[in-house]
Amino acid sequence: MKQLIEDIAKALVDIPEEVAVREVQGEQVTVLELKVAPSDLGKVIGKQGRTARSIRTILGAAGMKLNRRFTLEILE
Amino acid sequence: MTERKYLAAAIGPRVESFLRPTLRAAGFDLSFEITDSHPAGDDFETPDVVVKFTGPDVDLLLSNRAELLLALEHVTMEMLRMPSEDHSRISFDANDYRLLRIEELRLSAMTAAEKVKRTGVPFRFNPMNSRERRVIHMALRNEPEVRSESLGAGLSRQVVVYPAGMASLPEPPREFVPRSRAQAAPHGSGGPPRDRDRGQGAPHGPAGRPARRR
Repeated sequence: MKQLIEDIAKALVDIPEEVAVREVQGEQVTVLELKVAPSDLGKVIGKQGRTARSIRTILGAAGMKLNRRFTLEILE
Repeated sequence: MTERKYLAAAIGPRVESFLRPTLRAAGFDLSFEITDSHPAGDDFETPDVVVKFTGPDVDLLLSNRAELLLALEHVTMEMLRMPSEDHSRISFDANDYRLLRIEELRLSAMTAAEKVKRTGVPFRFNPMNSRERRVIHMALRNEPEVRSESLGAGLSRQVVVYPAGMASLPEPPREFVPRSRAQAAPHGSGGPPRDRDRGQGAPHGPAGRPARRR
């Protein structure tokens, strides 16, 4: 899943070298922390948060196949 | 209508090199094909390029009002750096979902128009994204006895159908609604003809710029 978020984020931003994803395993939920260059924040969030919501939808569906819940946290 | 701006041959390779690893990393069992679209008989939706999905996970793709399909579509268009006004030029599809959805919206529009003509009372649709609102407006454009207009902003922007001569409802005040609540209970009275239309604005989000009207 870390790979998934990393791939999507890198495709969206202008500075892919600054994309970093950290996976924090919890009992119920795995949290994925996404960090991008400050100038790229808007690219992963999108207008009215639509891009972030889309990424979460993809992550949620992928998690469903694994029977595991994932949360995406975009670090600002 | 408007001329082609995007060609499968031009954007195909970039879409493919983004989608293929994404689908793999997500574990979605799907194949896709990128083709130039052939304009249909009507001008309800004429994308330049269609990405058609097949495979065991098509059901997952289309569940919850095609939430995943639309999410992949949106992220792909953002990846291509397409300006939002071009977002209807690429259409992701599976099992003819797009066509069926347009047909469903068109029927809802006609039923709403009938109701407005009969009762003289404006009818509010549940919130929809801009592409779907457009379908409603298009479906009603040849109905002289009613007019349609979008009302509200962002996630809660919705189409209202009025008797032709009636003034518009006031814009709702811009209040802060927590996203979770906005999704759970999109306001808007009585779902259009069918009640399962309830909450349809939530999953695929807004796409509507507050100031833009159609």
